[in-house]
Amino acid sequence: MSLLEAGLLVVLGAVVFLDQWPTVQSMVSRPIVTGPIVGWILNNPADGVLWGATIEAMQLAVQPMGAARYPDAALAGLLGTTAALTGIHGGAYPAAWAVAVAVVAGWGGDAVGRVQRRWNARTAAAVRTRVAEGSLAAPGRGIAIALARAAALGAAQTAVGLLVVLAGGWLLAGTPWAGPLDVGDLRIAATAMAAVGGARVLGLGRWRAATLGIGALAGVALVTWGWAA
Amino acid sequence: MKRDADLSRRLRRERRQVALRSTLLQAVWNYDSLQAVGFAWAILPGLERIRPDPAERAERLHSHLESFNTNPYMATQAMGVALRMEEEIARGAAGAEQRLTRLLRALRGSLGAIGDDLFWAAWRPALGLAAALAALATASVWPAIVYLVAWNGLAQGVRVAGVRAGFAAGAGVARVLQDPFWASARRAARLGGSFAAGVALGAGAAWSVVGGGEWQGGAIFFLSVALLWLAGTRVGPRGRLLSPALAFLGVVVLLGAIHYLSQGAWP
Repeated sequence: MSLLEAGLLVVLGAVVFLDQWPTVQSMVSRPIVTGPIVGWILNNPADGVLWGATIEAMQLAVQPMGAARYPDAALAGLLGTTAALTGIHGGAYPAAWAVAVAVVAGWGGDAVGRVQRRWNARTAAAVRTRVAEGSLAAPGRGIAIALARAAALGAAQTAVGLLVVLAGGWLLAGTPWAGPLDVGDLRIAATAMAAVGGARVLGLGRWRAATLGIGALAGVALVTWGWAA
Repeated sequence: MKRDADLSRRLRRERRQVALRSTLLQAVWNYDSLQAVGFAWAILPGLERIRPDPAERAERLHSHLESFNTNPYMATQAMGVALRMEEEIARGAAGAEQRLTRLLRALRGSLGAIGDDLFWAAWRPALGLAAALAALATASVWPAIVYLVAWNGLAQGVRVAGVRAGFAAGAGVARVLQDPFWASARRAARLGGSFAAGVALGAGAAWSVVGGGEWQGGAIFFLSVALLWLAGTRVGPRGRLLSPALAFLGVVVLLGAIHYLSQGAWP
């Protein structure tokens, strides 16, 4: 990985951290989107798409409701895809390593997000005090500070994560843990994850069970006719 | 008619600014006041127009900094209601301030329930599932682009339309929340998601037989499904986060190990 690629990934880390909850929530931070972007940065967009979809399937079940704690899907997508693409060898991925990176990055990103929220509490208290004193600019200033801090945290956690990914990939190269998995098997495992996760999270009432069955027939027909084979 | 036209004209520019600022609603999200700072900052342009006196404005702004939390895309409806009620408070309507406090407290729960159910529990998993499946099959960037367009079409559309709807409804905002649109959108998203899950199920099973070849056959797919199911891909409304990810890791490790063994490469 070149310095330029690493720099672009760190910038992407800041952007997706901001998109995940502090700003627009346009879903640019979802693995299905970050995967292709990471692939583009690392000159392998098609495999980036594949890994983005795989990690998206892992995160389908996560619902960020209220003050729930949930894994950082953005960091998981970014680092998991990077681990897969930087360790690719002869058309096979270090799949176990990449999925493990995605799982751990999700937890790590959640911890960093909680730190940011705790710091935000101090900023919010300061804003309240200033507004009580008559300052109308305090909320805007508080938001600017919180956003700058979020961008810095997003960039920092990505930079640290990249170091771990590169070092771990180097240490594990040639071991069973980083054992290869070809594209076909990965697709099959990821599709199973998507099917099970999707069916469970969306529930299975009478109508939904019927559409699931119709969908299953459609899926078999699509593959039989050669669309996905 | 005249009243409707008047409502539509009032604070039009400020309402647009509020919708734009609502994108930073969660910038200072924290465990004490939750979204309050973002909420107060978003409605500030409207307050400026309603309360030209800075001291009065600061006092009203401070009252919005206590605590607020709801679904981020639905929050603009509460912002619209707040602006409408702030107008009434400024005109000196009796009990308007207490009514606004009660309304915002009630809206947090209602908007949160409708929005979370529609966006987080139905629309996002349905879209993510369909996009992931299409991406796995085609290895093309288009599913990701369509995913972004489809998500933002609904989510940002609701966000932008919310300020106007809340402002027009004011204290009668319950009418907006009872609109059949919310239930229909949720139902459509859930059925679409179930269909996509079915396609994944059927395609995965057929794929593993048609495309897997050799020893893998259908075993990989059915083994994966069984493991994921048994290992607990059960998901509550708050998300059981650990088990699906770990179960998937188990599946991949298992497949990797079988690969190693089948190639005779185990050290």
